[in-house]
Amino acid sequence: MLGRAAPGVCQVLAVANQQQNRNMATLKAISIRLKSVKNIQKITQSMKMVSAAKYTRAERELKAARPYGEGAVQFYERAEVAPPADEPKELYIAMTSDRGLCGAVHTGVSKVIRTRLAEPGAENIKVICVGDKSRAILQRLYGKHILSVCNEIGRLPPTFNDACKIAGAILTSDYEFGSGKIIYNKFRSVVSYQQSDLPLFSQKAVESSPKLATYDSLDADVIQSYMEFSLASMLFYALKEGACSEQSSRMTAMDNASKNAGEMIDKLTLTFNRTRQAVITRELIEIISGAAALE
Amino acid sequence: MSAWRQAGLNYINYSNIAAKMLRRSLKPELRAEALKRDDSNVRITPWANGRPAHLQTAAK
Repeated sequence: MLGRAAPGVCQVLAVANQQQNRNMATLKAISIRLKSVKNIQKITQSMKMVSAAKYTRAERELKAARPYGEGAVQFYERAEVAPPADEPKELYIAMTSDRGLCGAVHTGVSKVIRTRLAEPGAENIKVICVGDKSRAILQRLYGKHILSVCNEIGRLPPTFNDACKIAGAILTSDYEFGSGKIIYNKFRSVVSYQQSDLPLFSQKAVESSPKLATYDSLDADVIQSYMEFSLASMLFYALKEGACSEQSSRMTAMDNASKNAGEMIDKLTLTFNRTRQAVITRELIEIISGAAALE
Repeated sequence: MSAWRQAGLNYINYSNIAAKMLRRSLKPELRAEALKRDDSNVRITPWANGRPAHLQTAAK
């Protein structure tokens, strides 16, 4: 939509230039350009409104989802779980979405993973791309590391069932990892977010952690159930954080785009008026000088 | 070992089935709202060697 407007203008310009190399043609070209920029501004403005509405909802839901993630992280911190030394395999989960036009949310997450994959030991890392955007960024260079791709994310607010599906896919895949990370955008305020990570561990790592005794009546069965549930709830939390940062970032991006379009419109109107004035003046001169020649 | 794990379910399946049952047994005025939380749209494609796995098998 945005890309299509520009070639059209060029074509008009070229055709007009063939016909006559005068100011009249540029006048037409400017008015076409002006119209297209105005349309773009309308689009970005309405996109901003839509994402503002989605953002308020996402933030409300994020508040409700926060305990899920924090509870799970607390457990790992209290029990002082450490990645096992004998299992170098790692799993990274990139939390993005399918939709673009929202600033650097997706690039930020993918960049974290790309820098990790460029470091030594990368052959033991597998990545799960949640959302088409991270897949698009990572598949060219690091396609071999991708374990699976989840899409259809971002159209609707994420639900716990979504997180359950992803968690189920991780558990049923036969990839045995010792530790891992969920990379997501942590929402801080309307204008800021930060790439953060949530830890993932294998059951073996949890069982051999030094301070597991702080928790009462644990057996292997309970730990396994809890690990499964905490995986789903951490994914859910990361999805919510990601959705919220994405909407807020899209809001700012679209606000900036509308502002830029506004500036462009101002400049174009100015040149349009100037050219129009010039054309009128020239025509007047032509008429007057023609009349003067006849006398 | 619990019965549901012997049947090949993990805790996520187990608790999801329980949650689904709970949602369905709510009073009608609450059920409509709860059922909205019941759906999921995510599609998951396994990948291997830098390509979606189902494309690879189709190519062979």
